[in-house]
Amino acid sequence: MKKNILISPIILFFLILIIFFYLLIIDRNPSELPSVLINKKVPTFEAKLLLENNTFISPGEFGNETTLVNFFATWCKPCRDEHPYLKKLSNERGLKIIGINYKDDSNRAIKWLKKLGNPYSSVLVDPNAYLGIDWGVYGLPETFIVNSNGVIKYRLVGPITKKNYGAFVLKVKEVEK
Amino acid sequence: MQRILLAIVICLITSQIIAINCYSVEPDEFLQNPKNELRARNISKNVRCLVCQNQSIDESSAPLAKDLRILIRRKIEQGNSDKEIYNFLTERYGDFILLNPLFKISTLLLWILPFVFLGIGIFVIFLHNNKSKKLDYNK
Repeated sequence: MKKNILISPIILFFLILIIFFYLLIIDRNPSELPSVLINKKVPTFEAKLLLENNTFISPGEFGNETTLVNFFATWCKPCRDEHPYLKKLSNERGLKIIGINYKDDSNRAIKWLKKLGNPYSSVLVDPNAYLGIDWGVYGLPETFIVNSNGVIKYRLVGPITKKNYGAFVLKVKEVEK
Repeated sequence: MQRILLAIVICLITSQIIAINCYSVEPDEFLQNPKNELRARNISKNVRCLVCQNQSIDESSAPLAKDLRILIRRKIEQGNSDKEIYNFLTERYGDFILLNPLFKISTLLLWILPFVFLGIGIFVIFLHNNKSKKLDYNK
């Protein structure tokens, strides 16, 4: 009995060691944070549009169909790399993509879209990062998948790339179901 | 020689003080009301910068940290309580944004386990002592 008690700290130690080792070897990026907005309604906000003299009102403009919300800026290099894939999603899959131009110069953004093409159904301006904070954004680009009921179902931190495009389309299909 | 040593010690201590007081809050962010400014600073010290994750937004010079510092000050001026501001942040960024983990069911183990281990340790030492005392008597 006493021996068991004396040996228990050693067993506990190895148990903890196994847990730590497991956390070390699983494929996990500790700097990537899960969004707390998953399965919640899109935030309520109003924002000016970049290309039209009008206002975008959320959540009124969400719903009816699966929508992507993409935070981008001209100063963000990965956003440029991601751009062709957003165009592909818009052209080939006919997805509605709402772009949020995060802390950017509006003139530059307009030029950027003219040059590279515009995959967005509407582009919102967010000069003070208020929208970014509402969506829990902490690094660009970030893309949210919103379902047809206006509920956020998935967030991708970082660009859509050649590598993760397939997986991303699968996520979209899952949400579309 | 002693004087030089003293000078070095003073230099080291003062440099440390300066380093400790070096924050990233920029002058244009300060609130007019010193009481509110102090509140903003205290909240900022407890809010994690999500870009450089082991720094508070009070220490970080990342753009997001600045945005959040300004947001906290704006909320204070609008008359929000500290609790409302923390709630606003955790609703968007999760509990991870707080540098002090909350005391709730999912974090219970985190808070209690150190004391459990301390208890186990004391228990084991106590048992061990008893055992060695008995051995002494047997001699």
